[in-house]
Amino acid sequence: MTLPSRRNILKSLPIASMACMRNDASAQQTPQRSMTANGGSEPYPIPWLDRNGSHNQPAGPNLEPSHIYHFKGLVARCSTFTGMGTDNQGNRIAFGSPTTDYGLMKGEYWAARTAQSGAFAHI
Amino acid sequence: MFRGPAVPANQIHDFHPPIAPPGLYWVVPVPAAGVVVSADGKTVTLEMKDVPVVDQPRWPALDSIATPARMTFKMVWRSTGEPVQYENPSQQFRFTGNRAECQLEAEVNVPSTGFSWKSDPIETSRAGFAVIGDEVNGRYFS
Repeated sequence: MTLPSRRNILKSLPIASMACMRNDASAQQTPQRSMTANGGSEPYPIPWLDRNGSHNQPAGPNLEPSHIYHFKGLVARCSTFTGMGTDNQGNRIAFGSPTTDYGLMKGEYWAARTAQSGAFAHI
Repeated sequence: MFRGPAVPANQIHDFHPPIAPPGLYWVVPVPAAGVVVSADGKTVTLEMKDVPVVDQPRWPALDSIATPARMTFKMVWRSTGEPVQYENPSQQFRFTGNRAECQLEAEVNVPSTGFSWKSDPIETSRAGFAVIGDEVNGRYFS
């Protein structure tokens, strides 16, 4: 393995500095569009964490049914599914457990500093 | 999905959307036609096709591998008429509605592994817990 000579390093410096200048120049020449800065329009998650550290609550009595915070509207929630199905090999495979839960949220939510509307599913 | 009794050791598939970068948990937008509420408000149908999800059989292990998959499903909630109200002022939420029955049929497929699965007809499934109602939380809570 040959180490780079000091002469070769010095030779490469002007190229490197030109590359930096080119980047600076392109950054200066790129027009910067003006835009609002109010945050995204995606819903906020509920603040509460489940035992795995996720912004989630199990479905059940007296627990937050929605997965979206700053929300008002229709919520449908369910859990503890039991059912059966068949895979493409013909195997019968059960689905559902106490933690198999789903949710629907349809209504108004607050994001990007204003009211938004939409429907979302927790699946 | 489980091979045998529904305990973690028997779990062979777990299909859900990825957690969004801001932390929104397993939530996807629903197209306008995906939700149908009956005129009396007692039945809610949620139907979605080819939803991008992942299969994470070892969820919730932090190193659980997520394989891209697709899910198509139909879910129907029917109110039983029994009223419920859940309210927690410290968490700033109030839910007012009714208990419900809920049934589900679904299909999933994992293109990279060739696995697919289809549930039995919707009438054969059952949820142990279900509710329909109206909720306010966060800045809408008063």
